[in-house]
Amino acid sequence: MAVRQIDLLQGTLDLLILQTLSRGPNHGYSIAQRIRELSDDVLRIEEGSLYPALYRLEQQGLIDSDWRVTENNRKAKFYELTRKGRAAARAELDGWVRLSKAVARVLRAIEQGA
Amino acid sequence: MKRFATRLLRRLRDLLLPGDRDRDIQQELELHFEAIVDEGRHAGLNEYEARLAARRRFGSIMHIKDRSHDVRGAGWAGWAGWIEGVLRDVNHAARRLVHAPAFSAAAILTLALAIGANASIFTVVHRVVWNPLPYASPYRLIALDYGIPAMNMSSGIASMTWQLYWHLTDRSHSLQSIAVYDAIRATLTGRGTPERVVVSHATPSLTRVLGVSPALGRWFTEEEGVPGSAPAAVLSHGLWVRRYGGDPGVLGTAVTIDGVRASVVGIMPATFAFPFAGTDLWMPAQSTRADASFLFIVSGVARLHDGVSIEQSRAEITNLISDLSQVSPNQRGIVSAALPLQEMIVGRVARALWTLLAAVGIVLLVACANVANLFLVRYESRQREIAVRRALGAGRHGVLRYFLAESVLLSMAGGALGLALAWAGVRLLVMFSPANLPRLDEVGLDSTVVMFTAALSLATAAVFSLIPLLRLRPVGDSLHEGGRGNVAGGGRRLYKGRHVLMGCQVALALTLLIASGLMIRSFQKLRNVDPGFDSSSALTFSIGLPQREYSSRRGAVAAHQAILERLSAIPGVTAVSASSCLPLLGGCFGNSLFVEGEVLDRALMRRFASFRAVAGGYFEAMGMRLLRGRGLARGDIDRRESNIVVNQAFANIYFPARDPIGRRVQSSTPPNSSLPKPDWLTIVGVVSNTAMNALAEPEPAPQVFMPMSIAGGPDIPPEALLGPNVTTMAYVLRSAVPPAELTAAARAAVAEIDPNLALARVRTLQDIVDRASDQMAFTMMLLAIAAAVALLLGIVGIYGVVSYVVSQRTSEIGVRLALGAEPRSVAAMIVRQGGFVALAGALAGLALALAGARLIESLLYGISPRDPMVFGLTTLALLTIALFACWLPARRAARISPIEALRSL
Repeated sequence: MAVRQIDLLQGTLDLLILQTLSRGPNHGYSIAQRIRELSDDVLRIEEGSLYPALYRLEQQGLIDSDWRVTENNRKAKFYELTRKGRAAARAELDGWVRLSKAVARVLRAIEQGA
Repeated sequence: MKRFATRLLRRLRDLLLPGDRDRDIQQELELHFEAIVDEGRHAGLNEYEARLAARRRFGSIMHIKDRSHDVRGAGWAGWAGWIEGVLRDVNHAARRLVHAPAFSAAAILTLALAIGANASIFTVVHRVVWNPLPYASPYRLIALDYGIPAMNMSSGIASMTWQLYWHLTDRSHSLQSIAVYDAIRATLTGRGTPERVVVSHATPSLTRVLGVSPALGRWFTEEEGVPGSAPAAVLSHGLWVRRYGGDPGVLGTAVTIDGVRASVVGIMPATFAFPFAGTDLWMPAQSTRADASFLFIVSGVARLHDGVSIEQSRAEITNLISDLSQVSPNQRGIVSAALPLQEMIVGRVARALWTLLAAVGIVLLVACANVANLFLVRYESRQREIAVRRALGAGRHGVLRYFLAESVLLSMAGGALGLALAWAGVRLLVMFSPANLPRLDEVGLDSTVVMFTAALSLATAAVFSLIPLLRLRPVGDSLHEGGRGNVAGGGRRLYKGRHVLMGCQVALALTLLIASGLMIRSFQKLRNVDPGFDSSSALTFSIGLPQREYSSRRGAVAAHQAILERLSAIPGVTAVSASSCLPLLGGCFGNSLFVEGEVLDRALMRRFASFRAVAGGYFEAMGMRLLRGRGLARGDIDRRESNIVVNQAFANIYFPARDPIGRRVQSSTPPNSSLPKPDWLTIVGVVSNTAMNALAEPEPAPQVFMPMSIAGGPDIPPEALLGPNVTTMAYVLRSAVPPAELTAAARAAVAEIDPNLALARVRTLQDIVDRASDQMAFTMMLLAIAAAVALLLGIVGIYGVVSYVVSQRTSEIGVRLALGAEPRSVAAMIVRQGGFVALAGALAGLALALAGARLIESLLYGISPRDPMVFGLTTLALLTIALFACWLPARRAARISPIEALRSL
């Protein structure tokens, strides 16, 4: 395996799911596919983490689910953001961007100092 | 809003129908799985490879489901989430238990047995001992008992005089109210067939003392307590329903009791059973201050004033009695020995019941030890599973819940089954219990008992679930060892825990065995007590002559004589006679006597002797032994000679070291009595002692037997003190055939003399003897059952522990055998180890039994609570059985094949 899979930071998975869903309702399998594709196969979401996360988010009222039919005519459970979830996604994204900028600044400073 | 509603609905559905949610998740995961398989197929894998790859990637579907469950439960509002969690735990535990049917059945049955026993005894204790009196503030009610210290009787004179009643009513400050009563048998006629009923004459103050009121109508007025007023009667609920079909219209109508017409004024509630259960109706006891009797013919009950102690009241009553004895010398030297009414009614029974409750409590402990052992075994076999759970993040809390759910389920199931057993058990208890238990007819499972059982079940559950928790080891250890038969280390510690449990079982079982051994020996001794008469093959019944038709002593004696003659003609009857009072039943006429020629010493009081009026040939019919002189024959009755026979105890007390034959005695009367002095009575014989009230009497009671033709009768006032009234006599038929077969012939014979006479209390003399020991038989039987159950559970426990140790040491034993150990020495090693634990347990049990000796002492008869014989034999028996229970698995150990054992290492 050429590319090392990285461990997701706690909370990051929730952010990724919320972001994926902000583009429209989707089902579990497709969410995992989407994240994997967008991250160039670096982020592989294990099913064992994905579903608990989905149920947790649903429990928190950030997403909602119902059974629908997929594009290739399969039944699947679709998740979509609630209003609260949309707000949470924005807030989480802001937080993440701030955090990654901060981390980047620190790393740059260490590089320059070295 | 709609979204919120659907979500709420889903949550509700999740909570109420967890299966639905399971299916939901399952379906979602399966679809995902199929998608991954598709993906593999697209990538060019064949069906099998695609599925395999998907499964590898997907992990266990169950595992995801479990974690999803946790997540789903978590965010939900507090209590609902908690309930959900509990339901889930219980659901899982139930499934686990269903998959281990042998374990579950063993645990549930063991618990059900022990909990059922506890619930049954508790039911009886709760009703009979704690709440025996359905009266207002029952703790302030006292029974008026008396003693005569000069005659070495500190208590036990349960009767008093009308004089004292009025004296206490007028003068006492400690008593709020006081009532006296008696209880007799009488014939009820009018509306239906004649019936023998129990009538209690009570003062109108009785309901005030007890704080009860009739269910219908009224109780007696003060005027009805005055002699000469119109007769009134109050019916018991039982009689009202039985005879009058519960018809309220019976109020105001008349009933005829022993020929006296009385109008029914009230009906008591079903719970009212005073002075004892089975009292059919009440009539006013009538007396006035002016002509109050000096005879000890009534019993007293009183209510203490608030804040007055029973000791204060006793002192006051004793003082009032000594005032009274200035005018009424026959009450001289009497002191109050008043006791709580409750104690009088249930005192002795209570001790037996508490002992039984303690015994079944011990059985429960032994059962707990067994189930704890089962849990330990189960815990061992699930070590790996638990270790995995803990490695995955389940804390001690999670593991506790895991076991708690199982043990709560088991003990609740055991409790429910136990309650069912108790339902049957209580019925058995009521059926076999001695007749003198109060409120027994009310005994039944009620909410208190159900609560008790539930609490007991939960308490046992808590014990079991804690035991495995104490054994939690570091995760790494368990995972490392897990699944393999462990050779050393943790296993040793488990042996220790098991051995402690096993030792406790042995100790507790031995304690119960000793207790029941002592009871059995006591019972044997009691049954070996010589009652003084031959109880085999004799029928007895009593006949009461209605006073209207038989209004004189002469008439009554003639009727009895005619009946006796007719009875003696029945084929198979070898002897027949009658007495006013049978042995072991108490309730005889009693008085002290003067000895002719003795100087009357006011300070000297003779012990009361009980008087029996008898027909000719009584001693022969009863099989009593004549020690000196002669008995009383038919001629003595006909000639109405004042000849009497006394018993050995009377001779010893009244004529110490002198020959009583030919001496004369006289029934004592108060000096101021207006009635003529009774005749002098000449002693013509001495018979052996007979038991008066109980088989185990501390000392035999002095008794006088007089011809019925010179005793009291319907036309003789009781104050004349001649002797017992011969209106009602108990007949004795000694027979050559089984006595019960004579009943019909006896009825026919009596009917020939007077068809209106009824046979009451038909039974054999053996029944009377049996009844005298039935309370001890009852206690003994239940204690023996408890001990047997404890022993059985103990044996199972020992066998289980030793078997387990053997199974865990299989490899070690294999190595020993491979290295040349003798199979016999291997078996001996196992037995030695088990035997050592059993011995330690037995020593603890002996110590426990010695310490508890005082608790059981009052229940025993003729045996020390530390009887070395019982202690020695039961210990020996228990150890033998324990060693046998060790030997069975040890023998298996010796047969282990070294090769097999080593292979499994």
